[in-house]
Amino acid sequence: MFSTELVVQTFISGTMIGVLYALMALGITFIYSIMRMINWAMGEFYMIGSYLQYALVALLLGPDLWWLAIPISAAGVFLFGLVVQWSLLKPIFRKPPEARDDYATVVTLALLLLLRSLATGLAGPNQFSPGSDLPVVMVGPLPMAGARVAAFVFALVALVLFYLLLRYSWYGLALRATSQSRVGVQTAGIDVLGVDRIAFGIGVALAGLAGALLAPVFLVYPTNGLITTVKGFEIVVIGGLGSIPGALIAGVLLGLIESFGAAFIDSAYQNIYGFALVLLILALKPTGLLGERGREA
Amino acid sequence: MSASFAFPPSFRRSVITIVVTAAVFAFAPLVAGSFALHVLTISFYFVILAASWNLLAGYTGQFSLAHHAFAAIGAYTSGLLGYHYGVPAWIGIPSGVVMAALFGVILGRLVLRMRAIYLAIATWAFAETVHIYLTADYQFTRGELGLSVKPLYGSVDPLPYYFTFLALTVLVLIGLRALIDSPIGYFMRAIKDDELRAKSLGIDTTRVKIAVFSISSAIAGLAGAFYGHFIVLLSPQMIDFSEMAKIVIMVVIGGFGTFLGPVIGAAPVQMVMTYLQKYGEWNLAIFALIVIVLMRFSMEGLASLFTPLWRNLWARHDA
Repeated sequence: MFSTELVVQTFISGTMIGVLYALMALGITFIYSIMRMINWAMGEFYMIGSYLQYALVALLLGPDLWWLAIPISAAGVFLFGLVVQWSLLKPIFRKPPEARDDYATVVTLALLLLLRSLATGLAGPNQFSPGSDLPVVMVGPLPMAGARVAAFVFALVALVLFYLLLRYSWYGLALRATSQSRVGVQTAGIDVLGVDRIAFGIGVALAGLAGALLAPVFLVYPTNGLITTVKGFEIVVIGGLGSIPGALIAGVLLGLIESFGAAFIDSAYQNIYGFALVLLILALKPTGLLGERGREA
Repeated sequence: MSASFAFPPSFRRSVITIVVTAAVFAFAPLVAGSFALHVLTISFYFVILAASWNLLAGYTGQFSLAHHAFAAIGAYTSGLLGYHYGVPAWIGIPSGVVMAALFGVILGRLVLRMRAIYLAIATWAFAETVHIYLTADYQFTRGELGLSVKPLYGSVDPLPYYFTFLALTVLVLIGLRALIDSPIGYFMRAIKDDELRAKSLGIDTTRVKIAVFSISSAIAGLAGAFYGHFIVLLSPQMIDFSEMAKIVIMVVIGGFGTFLGPVIGAAPVQMVMTYLQKYGEWNLAIFALIVIVLMRFSMEGLASLFTPLWRNLWARHDA
């Protein structure tokens, strides 16, 4: 039962799915570190990404161009994020910060309900599968589903691009500065609300990208973002809110725990092992692995 | 808690108002049909949930997103005891309350050092875990098939349930009002405003926070356990996140952190949602749009409209 091959395979698949969960967590933590709010509708942006991917592959581009559909889906979610920030969130960020939290919470909660039922209303409660005709890939000596490997590679590319943007571009500098002090960047002449817009767009685009990449694996239906969002939030608690390396490490850790739990304990409870890890971390190190001090968020 | 403590005069007024309002509602069955009674009964259930969540989030500043899970823990405890072991409701319901309180103590202990966002995330993860468990362990919980629960009064005629929930709501609201007007209530608000300062003034913030968490969880469990014996069929749908969203929206529309808020927010929201059900799958979309528009143009909540009225009503006594 505990063959080396199974252990290695579990390890690889856990790492792969972990990086995709990390994408989701990164979106949550990125929006939080710039805007100081939690976007509760994150899973719905994931859902939109997966629907876009399905629609593009099934209706427009055809299954051979799935790789082209992925950036288009992510870009679509990015644009939608800009619209949401502009129409719903920007007005409140002009007001004093006390009322912001309640408002942002209620509006994103309402957005969650709205987008879910729109998806049900427009496309029905059906499950779609964009299908993946990618062949099984040999990772070393082990066979892996092609769709998962492709998703992993795309996620890595996106993470590298995200890092380069933050680290080396002028806009990345503005984003990092905003996460340090919203007032400070304003004195430097940066349009904070404009930075918010881009940050919100990028954050939800990360979720949309995860949705597009995981569409062949976890299928496409109105509440498909839920499980991945739970994972994303768990990662944020494990890794520490506002920490990008924390999100990556915690993502892989969660992916590993989950696959090992599923392979060696019971796969029915796959989605619960992560919470056990959260409890463990909270008991041992309440600030998360790489979190801010004190958690006075 | 000093021996010389006395409830402020507003406490007596609140109790009178609650009792008088309840007395008016006691006549509702004379004019309302059985469907209207059914909707009102569910509204009472949500008044209890919203008010007890408001105690936690609005008064103590612990923005928990697991309240619906505690209601479900109460409901499922009583339901499962009855389903598997034939335990009658009068033992099942108290067991549900105890179970919810127990989980409340444990979760409250875990999230103790977290504030705002972290607490919301961790409690949310807890709720989803309960949801996943109830769905996954279908051999025990019956999962999506639904767990059938014995009705409390042998039939599903809404009249006795209506009075049960009315009485429950009155008891819970008076209890909450007493708690809020007691020293613990002042400690709660002090913690919400500035926890460090409260601590420095000698308040045992740990004990207060855990106590509030378990009290509010127990109340949710109580409401859930009765609710289970009223709707007769439980499903993991009860812990769907939209239920929690509903509670938050009810409280915020009514007035976050005010006593009146959840009471006047819950029933209209539940009624609007019931009314919108004729639009099928679009009902939640329309509801969410209404909420977004409301929030976009007014953030104060309905309770702020009533505050001047309330003051005028009792002004003569204060003069």
